[in-house]
Amino acid sequence: MSIETTSNEQDIRLRAGIDRSLRHPVMFFLTSGAAWLAVSLILGIIASAKMHAPGFMDGCSWFTYGRIQAAHVNALVYGWAFQAAFGVIIWLMSRLSRQECKASGTILMAGHLWNLVVSFGIIGIMAGFGTGIPWMEFPVFVWPALLFCYVAIVIWSMIQFKVRPEGHVYISQWYLMAALIWFPWVYLTTNLLIHVFPGNPVMANAINAWFKSSLIFLFFTPVALATAFYLVPKVTGRPIISYSLAKLGFWSLAILMPWAGTQKLFGAPIPVFIPYLGAAATILFFIPAFTAAVNLLRTASADMEIVNNSPTLRFTMAGVFGLIVMAVASVFLNIPDVTLELTQFTISGYGFEILALYGFFSFVMFGAIYFIVPRITLREWLSRRLIKMHFFFSIYGIVTIALVAIFGGVMQGQGQEDFLQPNTELPTYVYPYAWATTISWCFILFSNIFFFLHLTFMWLRLGRRSTHPTLLVSHHAGSPHGEEGDIDNVGTASAH
Amino acid sequence: MSFRIFILGLFASFGVAWLSIIIVPYFKMRSLDPIPMGEDANGTSVVFNPKRAGRIKDGYEVYMSNGCNQCHTQLIRPTYAGTDVHRPGWAGFVYDDERGNTSRETTVFDYAHEKFASIGVTRIGPDLSNFAVRVREIYAKGQSAENWLYSFLYNPRHDPKRRNSTCPSNRFLFEERKIKGNPADDAIPFASKEGYELVPKPEARALVSYLLSLKKDQAVPASINFAPAKKEEAETK
Repeated sequence: MSIETTSNEQDIRLRAGIDRSLRHPVMFFLTSGAAWLAVSLILGIIASAKMHAPGFMDGCSWFTYGRIQAAHVNALVYGWAFQAAFGVIIWLMSRLSRQECKASGTILMAGHLWNLVVSFGIIGIMAGFGTGIPWMEFPVFVWPALLFCYVAIVIWSMIQFKVRPEGHVYISQWYLMAALIWFPWVYLTTNLLIHVFPGNPVMANAINAWFKSSLIFLFFTPVALATAFYLVPKVTGRPIISYSLAKLGFWSLAILMPWAGTQKLFGAPIPVFIPYLGAAATILFFIPAFTAAVNLLRTASADMEIVNNSPTLRFTMAGVFGLIVMAVASVFLNIPDVTLELTQFTISGYGFEILALYGFFSFVMFGAIYFIVPRITLREWLSRRLIKMHFFFSIYGIVTIALVAIFGGVMQGQGQEDFLQPNTELPTYVYPYAWATTISWCFILFSNIFFFLHLTFMWLRLGRRSTHPTLLVSHHAGSPHGEEGDIDNVGTASAH
Repeated sequence: MSFRIFILGLFASFGVAWLSIIIVPYFKMRSLDPIPMGEDANGTSVVFNPKRAGRIKDGYEVYMSNGCNQCHTQLIRPTYAGTDVHRPGWAGFVYDDERGNTSRETTVFDYAHEKFASIGVTRIGPDLSNFAVRVREIYAKGQSAENWLYSFLYNPRHDPKRRNSTCPSNRFLFEERKIKGNPADDAIPFASKEGYELVPKPEARALVSYLLSLKKDQAVPASINFAPAKKEEAETK
């Protein structure tokens, strides 16, 4: 990774102080997030296996398909994705606002509470107390607790932004502030209008569809983009190619994406403009996605060697490719009268969510984790082989899931359209794709077990004491990681 | 761009969409006027209002909390959005000459009294809009619809014709108990031991009540009937 150009001793001390102040909350969020990811993947494998082998773990109420699929998705969203986002948000905001975190105790406590509540939620779903509302299956008591934890975790980042030293506001801060403001707004609206003041049941479906899409497009996407816009210039040591392109990308996301999501209600008894607007907005996701992706790719492509060698950049750029695929999929899957109604009730909905959550968001988060963790633990990653395993098996898995989501969904939809076939044929349209999904989840689980172990070693401060970052190629014939050095002095530790 | 303008921009860009596709439609749809259906024999006016109370409501909770909606939809889309209407037994039936084909699209009133319309996520299994009629008229013809459903829920693949089904077995909704006196009417023939019987738990009874209430092919008032009988058809009746 690059050497920061500034040699100002004060700056270095400030960064080291920020990293030290956030060590415990950030490591807690990342490690427990990775553990939840592993849990979610195991649940996902079981759920997916039941699609082609219904006898698998059959007849047990806790593991019946409807419950375990819900538990899998909720563990992925609230257990892994949100916690990874929290870890990265609080660190990025402190670094970008140039202030130490003064509330790490509160954040850590709220983080523990978040984990406790998510555990209750998952157990509640599996015990049969779920609501059955997609992405909101947690028993109803969970949502106020999660919202409370959310506020207790991120309010400090918002304060840091408000009282930041005068000067330039970086692109990443726009995205972070937007995500931090939009998420509670979306979450509160949705839960109030579905659980507290129930209105029309069909409208509740529309609100729920909008909620899922808003979580993806207005929380996970901006957080991942903020991270990528921080990491790419930082590691390559080059400024972002175009500032006005970044501006266009940000404001097009802000203006277009709040309209997206309701196309799931296509053909339902609801005012027709709602699904059509949702489809139009989701298709237009390619504007914010491509502008951001082009900006990041052109910045990084100036030095392909760094992209290839740095674990951070390799994961981040894979995430940016995931963003491009996601944008193509949101165009391809949502064209009314062509593919929208065809894929409306197929596995492509789930596949798209996984593509967004894993193929784009998680890859960027992995990139960030490979960058942040050595800085806050003052240790380097143990093994580049583990990192490579993590990367390649994740890539194999997610590419398969993306292909299955896009093409399998269309094929399944074609089968469903053939109304002369008997009902008993319906499950067979999904067999081959369910097999592919199970296998790719196994690959992803395999890769993430290594990741979790590696991260846990780092958390236990068992990392390498070295001034040389762990790169994916070896430069020195003598030692695989180059010359060892002492990093326990402030200056060198934070110069990376 | 000052901080104030930036935050204002965030609120405005999000708020406009939030108001237009969530808040205003929510309040507009919150209190839909009931649709009059004409008068009954006593001269009181009737509105379209499917029954959904008591055990049917409990069954809806069981349906949702077990995630049946992950694989089963309950939505007959108009022809511009799919071929649902044409699939035999999904949108309606031909009961007799007088009513003709009852196939119709789902209306907003079909989900009345549900907290969250069970439109569903995917269609791994068949659509259940008119499942009750399919069970009564086709699957369980000549026997008790409840018992057919209990057997189906216990083991969806017990019928060789349904070996492709990936519906999970809901064995946990049943209990095996010793026969005391006469065997129960709703016992299913899968008991493992002699002298014991398999009977549905209350959740299974509620779920079956709900499933046997799934009927969305009633005649609807002309104002929400999107496929009214053609003129010549109406004249020949």
